[in-house]
Amino acid sequence: MAILEVQNIEKHFGSTKVLTDISFSLEEGQALSIIGSSGSGKTTLLRCLNFLEKPDKGRICVRGKVLFDAGDPSTQLEGEIRKKRLHFGLVFQSFNLFPQYTALQNITLARELQARERGETKAQIEAAGRELLSQMGLSDRADHYPHQLSGGQQQRVAIARALALQPDILCFDEPTSALDPELTGEVLRVIRNLAEKKTTMIIVTHEMAFARDVADQVIFMDEGIIVEQGDPHKVIDHPKEDRTRQFLSRYTERN
Amino acid sequence: MFWTVTLSLLKGFGAATELFFLTLLLGLPLGLVVAFGSMSKFQPFRRWILYRKKAPGKFLQALAQLRPISALTNIIVWIIRGTPLMLQIIIIFYGPGLWFDNNIWAFGNGRMAACTLAFVINYACYFSVIYRGGIEGVPVGQREAGEVLGMTKRQIFFKVTLLQMVKRVVPPLSNEIITLVKDTSLARIIAITELIKAGEAYMKSNGITWPLFYTAVFYLIFVGILTLLFNFVERKLSYFR
Repeated sequence: MAILEVQNIEKHFGSTKVLTDISFSLEEGQALSIIGSSGSGKTTLLRCLNFLEKPDKGRICVRGKVLFDAGDPSTQLEGEIRKKRLHFGLVFQSFNLFPQYTALQNITLARELQARERGETKAQIEAAGRELLSQMGLSDRADHYPHQLSGGQQQRVAIARALALQPDILCFDEPTSALDPELTGEVLRVIRNLAEKKTTMIIVTHEMAFARDVADQVIFMDEGIIVEQGDPHKVIDHPKEDRTRQFLSRYTERN
Repeated sequence: MFWTVTLSLLKGFGAATELFFLTLLLGLPLGLVVAFGSMSKFQPFRRWILYRKKAPGKFLQALAQLRPISALTNIIVWIIRGTPLMLQIIIIFYGPGLWFDNNIWAFGNGRMAACTLAFVINYACYFSVIYRGGIEGVPVGQREAGEVLGMTKRQIFFKVTLLQMVKRVVPPLSNEIITLVKDTSLARIIAITELIKAGEAYMKSNGITWPLFYTAVFYLIFVGILTLLFNFVERKLSYFR
């Protein structure tokens, strides 16, 4: 059974339609890449999954359970959204680390606040935090504040922070777009490692080669609709749709 | 002579510091209330107008967008910041007696009470603008990061945004508080013997001017101490950006 099922999502901002009839599903351990030009609705889609935006139509199901149904107000109760969010993790384009906390504290903060419901001790959480930092290759940066870290390091801390809550599905919103070109590699490497460990992920990205290599499935979006969807080698190397071809040719020209 | 002057200036300084601390004590929290008022997104007519069967005209559309609490607060802030504090002190102290034939300030510390009220209202408006800048200056991404991590609204405020607001607010607030020290001299307009009035008295009665310059020493020392204090707080908060 699919771990995530998104059915007929639609979203308007005022009178502009940002998402139209978005449906896809994702199997456990798979990575899905979403590509498309800016303004195509990729980020809004991720924000809908993380309950930062409320879709106007459609359903979101995780492990067969309906988390959100636009037609059913009982799935939209304020008090339950917080819990539902924990199925997803989100890594932002601009990191959004908490500046007043060290790298380690950034990772452990939310989990410590949930320690009681999770039945964990502070020591356990800290140990898990350090373990995550070493996975990110940042063991020696545990006590550094965000402003003392490079962009690539900050983004890796942000990934560890999202992983700390053990989400079912980890979402990346253009994780390397705010980075200098020479720093993108370290972040992409970390995401590649996660893919090898069969982490379920949705990655919005402009790195075509990376999307093709890492993803099990690719979605190309344009003007709020899914234009083409399927095996990454097929979609990126042999696109069927004209719009996909045009978009990809702009990328190959640039590189 | 030096000691008589010192003693009488100390008395004036006492009145000035009383006004200063009362204004801070009441004005700092009131400023926060005013700040929330001016940021209020409450639109009471919106639901009613937008869900009517008939399409709303231009006037009703504008009314639907109206945020009455925010608008009213902003008008008050505009009036208070747009007129001299001295005028406000005069109106608050003499107004009730002149217009309503009811001098509500006719008790022991009435003058100081009236003056404090004027200062609190005036400074709360200035503080509110500073607070607002601090609150709106924290990037939305900070709150969103907290939300995505399953934190409650309370947790996000206390654990994530509060300290970042404080850090943003301290420098402009310290500026305003230093101005407040010297603004206490306006209290003399309703015959409160603060520092300047105490010093000037010697110019009038004894024909000597040095007590007037002596008052400056009090201000300088007081502001000096405040500056050290604010520097300390700013340094304490400089470990993050």
